[in-house]
Amino acid sequence: MTDHRQGPRRRGHGELEALVLSALHGAEGPATAGWVQERLGGELAYTTVITILTRLLAKGAVTRERAGRSFAWTPASDQAGLAAHKMRKVLDAESDRGAVLASFVTGLGPDDERLLRELLGQSRAERAD
Amino acid sequence: MGWFVFLPLVLPLTAWPIARLAEQHLHPRAATRLLTGVAAVMAICSTVCLALVMVVGTAQLPGNPLPDGWSDPEVRAAVPYDEVAGKAAIPALCVVLVACGRTLWRHVTVRRRAHRALTGMPGTEVAVLPDEAPYAYALPGGRRDRVVVTTALLDCLEPAERRALFAHERAHLAARHHRFLLAVRLAARANPFLRPLSTAVAYTAERWADEDAARTVGSRRIVARAIGKAALVSRGTPVATLAGFAAPGPVPRRVAALLGPAPAGRSWPSVFTTAGLAAWGAAAGTAVSAMSSANSAVTMYFILHAATPF
Repeated sequence: MTDHRQGPRRRGHGELEALVLSALHGAEGPATAGWVQERLGGELAYTTVITILTRLLAKGAVTRERAGRSFAWTPASDQAGLAAHKMRKVLDAESDRGAVLASFVTGLGPDDERLLRELLGQSRAERAD
Repeated sequence: MGWFVFLPLVLPLTAWPIARLAEQHLHPRAATRLLTGVAAVMAICSTVCLALVMVVGTAQLPGNPLPDGWSDPEVRAAVPYDEVAGKAAIPALCVVLVACGRTLWRHVTVRRRAHRALTGMPGTEVAVLPDEAPYAYALPGGRRDRVVVTTALLDCLEPAERRALFAHERAHLAARHHRFLLAVRLAARANPFLRPLSTAVAYTAERWADEDAARTVGSRRIVARAIGKAALVSRGTPVATLAGFAAPGPVPRRVAALLGPAPAGRSWPSVFTTAGLAAWGAAAGTAVSAMSSANSAVTMYFILHAATPF
């Protein structure tokens, strides 16, 4: 089993991204990848931290600027923003959204909008009585 | 066995009337359960019969791995038009199996990906995502069932309407609606004649959650307004229908149903109404479907048993 050889517990990409982002949030101002690695107790390899930061950059969750020979990283969004971005990707990949996840409302047909406004207007008028 | 083996393939047509009428004449809970049950039984029967015909079809092919006795004239005589039907059943069964497999696989992966996207969020039941796209849905499974909703949708609702939204999504999770939806979707893949039932259940499950939400918040009108407002802010994706013929879509029908009186709790309509006739028709169709597939399976077993030299 490969899982056993790679360490006590293999963590998914999502979990590592969340971990690195929360470490970055703990920094006062921009932080280097080395700082993040140290902050996480050195349990991740330096290259792994770089990979995850680059992936977060692609998702717009962090920004970076050159600081000498390396980059300084700043969080751009919080955990919720990152989750929203990922969820949008899941939904966008799903051509027929309703096919798997029952969404609260489905799309409106051509006449539906007018009909809906009439119904809601009627309900408001009755309430005002 | 004769013609019986083909009956379950077309008997789903007997469920069409109730698929149309259930929405107005049955309580959404009863409608969802009835239609899902009918669809599941009919899909299984239809697939069993397709498999039986396929056995006869493959037995004719040279070099097949089945016992030689199975291609006996006696076995082939069991299925009318065995040459055409048997050969047609082979690709048909493959299509059914592949389509069902894909539907199941997609269902599992989308749910897993959605749960994974929420990693790092607090483990509360409701996950609020900062997003300008308004959407909300119930996400079953994972470590715990969750309700996912965006800030854009919450911003357009008043507090009472938000409670209605959460009550609706929680009703989906509590009643395990995703299982009904998956069952009818698989059934529609197994036999295309069951597609109207799948569409009907997608609607009645929403209605069921609407009614539960109305009971929780104590007002049908508030639920109706929440649905209406949510649909109007997220109207960016129009459904593909022909403008001229478009019947009112599911959202206006749900709102209209909520503005009307509550559905009667009585679960089975009287035989002497149209809906009653339709419901009994579907029940009879299901029973005949089950009996003819069972009959065909047993007959086929004895014929093949007799034809196998051991």
